[in-house]
Amino acid sequence: MVTREVVANNEKVTLFGFDHDMNDQNLLKGLLLAAVALAFGLGAFRYPIGEFSRAGPGLFPLVISGILMVIAIVSIVRSRFVERVPLDFSIRNIVIIMVALCGFALVSQYINMVLGIAFMVFVSTIAGDSYSWQRNLKISVALIAVAYAFHYLLGLNLPLPGPY
Amino acid sequence: METLQNLAFGFEHALTLHNLMYCAIGCSVGTLVGLLPGLGPLATISLLLPLTYSISTTGALIMLAGIYYGAQYGDSVSAITMKMPHASSIVACIDGYQMTLKGKTGLALFTAGVSSFIGGTVAIVVLAWLAPTLGEVAFKFGPADYCALMMFGFLCVSFVTTGSLLNGFAMCMIGVLLGLVGTDVNSGMARYTFDLPNLADGVSLVSLALGCFGIAEITKNLDAHEQRSPFNGTIKLMPTWPEFKRIFPSALRGSAVGSFIGILPGGGAAIAQFAAYALDKKVSKYKDEIGSGAIEGVAGQAAADEAAARTSFIPLMSIGIPENAVTALMLGAFIIKGIQPGPNMIASHPELFWGLVASMWVGNVFLLVLNVPLVRYLLSIFKIPYNVLFPAILFFCCIGTYSINNNLDDIYTTAIFGLIGYVFMRFGLDAAPLMLGFILGPMLEENFRRTLLLSRGSFEIFVERPISGTLLGLIALFITWQVLAFYFKARAKRREAALTPPPLAIAPLADRVPESGSAP
Repeated sequence: MVTREVVANNEKVTLFGFDHDMNDQNLLKGLLLAAVALAFGLGAFRYPIGEFSRAGPGLFPLVISGILMVIAIVSIVRSRFVERVPLDFSIRNIVIIMVALCGFALVSQYINMVLGIAFMVFVSTIAGDSYSWQRNLKISVALIAVAYAFHYLLGLNLPLPGPY
Repeated sequence: METLQNLAFGFEHALTLHNLMYCAIGCSVGTLVGLLPGLGPLATISLLLPLTYSISTTGALIMLAGIYYGAQYGDSVSAITMKMPHASSIVACIDGYQMTLKGKTGLALFTAGVSSFIGGTVAIVVLAWLAPTLGEVAFKFGPADYCALMMFGFLCVSFVTTGSLLNGFAMCMIGVLLGLVGTDVNSGMARYTFDLPNLADGVSLVSLALGCFGIAEITKNLDAHEQRSPFNGTIKLMPTWPEFKRIFPSALRGSAVGSFIGILPGGGAAIAQFAAYALDKKVSKYKDEIGSGAIEGVAGQAAADEAAARTSFIPLMSIGIPENAVTALMLGAFIIKGIQPGPNMIASHPELFWGLVASMWVGNVFLLVLNVPLVRYLLSIFKIPYNVLFPAILFFCCIGTYSINNNLDDIYTTAIFGLIGYVFMRFGLDAAPLMLGFILGPMLEENFRRTLLLSRGSFEIFVERPISGTLLGLIALFITWQVLAFYFKARAKRREAALTPPPLAIAPLADRVPESGSAP
């Protein structure tokens, strides 16, 4: 009995704590849609709903969330009848890109955009196939030059250090 | 005759030195950015949108038109030379890439350029003639009809672009919900803003588009670890006369197909290409060669692509409702410039309408005289490795987002939509219908509330009015058909599954019998 359980556990592919039965793109998609519908639908109750003849700001979001909820339920039901497709999801690259973008905004806000650009280049390239700081330096210099060109030639108002 | 006069009036506005320059810049920059991996027309337009902010309205529209056509051509170039399509140029990969393998890249690129020109020219005649006529029909539309039309558009786009009604429609609805973020125009109440000041005006269009189409695509490319070999072949552009003659019949067929399909709701460039390609495969004189690198295989679809891209502006300009994601984005760009396309636009801003129609054609000419010869230089962008390219694209996404309001906080919005777009993509949900829903959302709400105000809360009005009644009937029919089709397919599959095991069990045995019989 014990060995059988071990074998069964080994066969299970875990993804975000879900076991293999849950790792189904169609099912998870339905659940995702239901979550979005719930978030917007429950949010709508914070605003006056009114009635159909005199709609308040909450009515229309409620109607649309309702439609989305119906679609979500149909998707969940449908996923029981079609073949399972495992979800292919890698979290590494998207996190790196998010850090690079948010870091760019933060550094540009509190220091200046020159450092922001350098930060973004050096962080985002971690997601690439190879990493070389010399190359990153070159990219940063080139992009900073482009930023200055935009600032002075096209009249974009970028937070760059320098004479105005 | 009147149409010709109007067109001449439009050309007067389009053919100033400044506007020509904007058109040229739009075309070439559009092609260059459109060539970049991971950036289709939607991402390209939203990336270049900030460029048009400081330009006069007519000039900005002309530049946008140039960017749009340039981006589309850039797409087909990368499809022909490297078999690397975005959603908008899948068909160009088939014969176009085969021609590249045969060493006829130049001919394929030339054919695509000339056919686009032919398709665009035919479509502009259709547009100039049909848009004002349809505009008069649009005055018969009441708010209930607009609601029904938008729902019908959602349905068609979902089915056509994503192939899955459920997924596409869900994305449309999420788009509508995202479009509601911000201050409600009727009551002045802030909805779903989380008290963030940069959400009070709603989610920025550019943030949404760059996040969902730019950043999500870049991340997907990074996940794939694809190594692309840059194109190194020679390009001989000018064809021989017999080759040149083969372009025309196919391009004209493609133009007709494309012009027709572009007008239909949900019909965009992608489906027009497939239709034109299928038609050529049936009726062309060289139909046996199609699929193995025939001129017709490139010409027909390129013409249809361009023609459909043009005529899909007809519903936008005459009724004010975009019927696919790209025109929805163009509508967003028009609104940023303070223009609301619709039946009133032709009457109140004739110089804009006819100027835009004329500039579309000017854009086409530029595409032919500027981009086709320049394409060999533009292609050198692929010699840059992706590791260098993608930080630069990210940088341009940031600058594009920032320069709308000169606000760094908008970059966080873009980043969040990048994450959302990536998650949706991994769940197999296409973001293009989301764009359409996002832009139509406020319009849908406005018309929905107005309808119910007029009918005092009764939903009967949707069925009683002939236009909305018909459209809703079509929607109901369509959904019934989908449900029935799914049910019968599932039943057939189950029956098949019940029947197949016995033959499978017998087959190996039957195979073994002669083997064991021949062994001794």
